[in-house]
Amino acid sequence: MSLLAAASIGIGVMMLVAAVAALVVRKLISAIIIVAFVSLSASVLFLLMDAPDVAITEASIGAAISTVIFLWGRGKIGGEE
Amino acid sequence: MIRTYVGLIIVLALGAIVVSSLSNYSVPLELGSTGHNYTQRGVDDTGSVNLVTAVVVAYRGLDTLGEVVVLFSASTAVVLILTLIPMGANPTPSSSIVSFTAGVLPGAIVLFGIYIISHGHLSPGGGFPGGAVVASAFLLIMLGSNTIPGQSRLLASIESLAGLTFGLLGFWGMMTLGQFLNNKVLPVGSPGKLLSAGIIPLISLVIGAKVASELSGVFASYRKAGGEK
Repeated sequence: MSLLAAASIGIGVMMLVAAVAALVVRKLISAIIIVAFVSLSASVLFLLMDAPDVAITEASIGAAISTVIFLWGRGKIGGEE
Repeated sequence: MIRTYVGLIIVLALGAIVVSSLSNYSVPLELGSTGHNYTQRGVDDTGSVNLVTAVVVAYRGLDTLGEVVVLFSASTAVVLILTLIPMGANPTPSSSIVSFTAGVLPGAIVLFGIYIISHGHLSPGGGFPGGAVVASAFLLIMLGSNTIPGQSRLLASIESLAGLTFGLLGFWGMMTLGQFLNNKVLPVGSPGKLLSAGIIPLISLVIGAKVASELSGVFASYRKAGGEK
């Protein structure tokens, strides 16, 4: 197995673990940050799979913009869990 | 409790369906006829070195116009709903790290976004990603400021002007070459140059301006609506 394939599978496993963690974690803000991590990993994965166009979009919209929107939403509902 | 188990069973069943449908799948080693056509003729045909942009803007330009319309209606709906919520008080002041970064970085981010937009036919990127990058710079500015943003007529005018220009570029092709959004109304030029690839750079610019102003408008109205508890 090539290094690239091994790295892709490693990132995929990390994403799976993080996605489950985002569901079970108690604090809302932790869940938001974990979802941002999943998005960023997806962006790296797209880059490894030779899709830089998609990677740029995922990094800016998935990791940056939607995270801030979630954080603002959390601030507005005032929820902690 | 029952709901949790029912949800778990549904998720497991869906997973089983996905795995069983993938078991017979093998990665195709050759492109289909359409993909083969695009990769063989794409660069000569459109003058765009980045084939993704060639497909998105030139070959399937009408779909991109539809995508722009979808984004437009979505952002209009979001802004309409958010204006119904009474305006909130000024947000809590951000930390000095955030406000300092918001003073330094946005210029560089906007420049990078403009680079992605203007080089859409040469390197990865194009109107949508570049516009999102530019919008994230405005997002950073809003994060750093302690006041709620006011109404911006400029954003709305840029947005409408960009949408209008996209349509007019389409009709230009219709008038001169008898085809909506025909890429060859401007010379294709030599592939690899900044000013080449027909109207692809123009359309990238228009999409970038539209996406950036639309997303910034959504952020501004989101920041404005309701108070932080």
